[in-house]
Amino acid sequence: MNSFLTPAIAGLTAGGTYALLGVCAVFTYRLVAVVNFTGAAIGSAGTFALIALTEGGYPTFPSVIAGILVGAAVGVLIGFIMTRWFAEANPSTKAAVTAALLVGLIAIGLRLTGGQHPRVMPDLFPGSAFRMAGVEVTIASVLTIGLAILFTVLSDLFLSRTRIGLHLRALSDRPLAAELIGVKVRLLSLLVWGATGAFTTFALMIIAPQRSPNFMTLSLLVVPALAAALVGLFRSFWLTLAGGILLGVLEGLASSVDSIAQYRSAIPFLVILAVLLWSQREARWDDAR
Amino acid sequence: MSELVISSLSISRSELPVVTEINARVESGSISVVLGANGAGKTTLLEGLSGIIPVASGTIAIDGHEIQTARPGQRSREGLAHVEQGRTIFSQLTTEENMKVALRDGSDLSEAYGLFPELMQRRSVRAGLLSGGEQQMLVIARALLTRPKVLMIDEMSAGLAPVIVSRLMAAVRKLADAGLAVLLVEQFAALALGIGNRAYVLRRGRVVYDGDCKTLLRSPDELHRLYLGG
Repeated sequence: MNSFLTPAIAGLTAGGTYALLGVCAVFTYRLVAVVNFTGAAIGSAGTFALIALTEGGYPTFPSVIAGILVGAAVGVLIGFIMTRWFAEANPSTKAAVTAALLVGLIAIGLRLTGGQHPRVMPDLFPGSAFRMAGVEVTIASVLTIGLAILFTVLSDLFLSRTRIGLHLRALSDRPLAAELIGVKVRLLSLLVWGATGAFTTFALMIIAPQRSPNFMTLSLLVVPALAAALVGLFRSFWLTLAGGILLGVLEGLASSVDSIAQYRSAIPFLVILAVLLWSQREARWDDAR
Repeated sequence: MSELVISSLSISRSELPVVTEINARVESGSISVVLGANGAGKTTLLEGLSGIIPVASGTIAIDGHEIQTARPGQRSREGLAHVEQGRTIFSQLTTEENMKVALRDGSDLSEAYGLFPELMQRRSVRAGLLSGGEQQMLVIARALLTRPKVLMIDEMSAGLAPVIVSRLMAAVRKLADAGLAVLLVEQFAALALGIGNRAYVLRRGRVVYDGDCKTLLRSPDELHRLYLGG
């Protein structure tokens, strides 16, 4: 039993991060109608700002804040590109543009951060939070899942209870109609990009010590993030949260089985395939008739 | 006295001129009606005025303040409200949430409910579930809550039952009587001319009639000639 529980619990940290990145992806999709492939790359930019600052001898806490601000700023920059030149484009075009921007961000990131050579990432939250069934649950696991839940709850409350949230919901429904009644569409869109950039950065800062912290590896965490978002069909924050955690646990379990351990990174693709097949089942049934 | 003044306005779509050298004036307390056959440039004119599409040349001024280069949101804050055709409600929001999006300092939901009491009973219903008439009332009420000086309405009556259209026409007349400047684009000429003060008839993007509504209403043959040319 323990041989499965240990890797499953070990997968919670990654699961929490996937969940948070996925919820951010849903937030971006629901509010500014963009399937955002750059989410993790934006977070990587902030994370590597933290690494550069700590390597330069700056204290950790101010470096974390600076890194989060860099992530938010890169998010706003991507948001500016999307709202300035692609606001009226269809969703497929917007997604393709963010995929192209992802390639660009990875290229720039690798150039600035020394290629795929791993860097020393300070472990912000080392140690164990508690033991469960004889297995250590790390502070990082608790924190990433807690942060994902917090972001999910805050997103729900923010959208349903605040005036800005109401404006964002109107904006996501009909951007032009919202702008015509004076909603500050660009400003709100940039706010969404900046907020998701900041949250994504913090999530990656927590998980980076457990990964090979190079810009490419962290940026490609967008794949499990979008798989989690797909579990929530890009609408439900809570299903996305569950999907992200489940993905992390499945990866953890897969790593404990020697024969499939090397294929565990393919799990998000299998999930994407499964969700797409399931969600399109009615269309396929109609076609078959 | 608020007024919208349009001077030598030209608007193109994909570099093709659709509206050419339009001059018009919409005054506070009056309804100016824009008529014309399909493709005459009526909707393009409104979209150019509200900033959805850029103007090629000319000026648009509200109370002497030029707005032709401002973004749509800025034009709204300057006092120009545009009710688009097609009843552009926020379908996922409730009726009341739709109106709250538009609330400005000094505006109150009671103004909207006063104009359309029907919406009060439907305030918690998702706007996508409202009838066509209720949705049209909602978008007009929503525009009203932005505290506009000039209200532009495009094809308000499209797809609605005559009794609802009459109800909406009466409400628009009431708004004008309360001091609003209204620019109304309509396919149903007789109805619009019946409540309007001044009429502009467009043909191929140019104004071919600028005058009194009543005169045009009394001369259906003249209206027919203006629509079709000759």
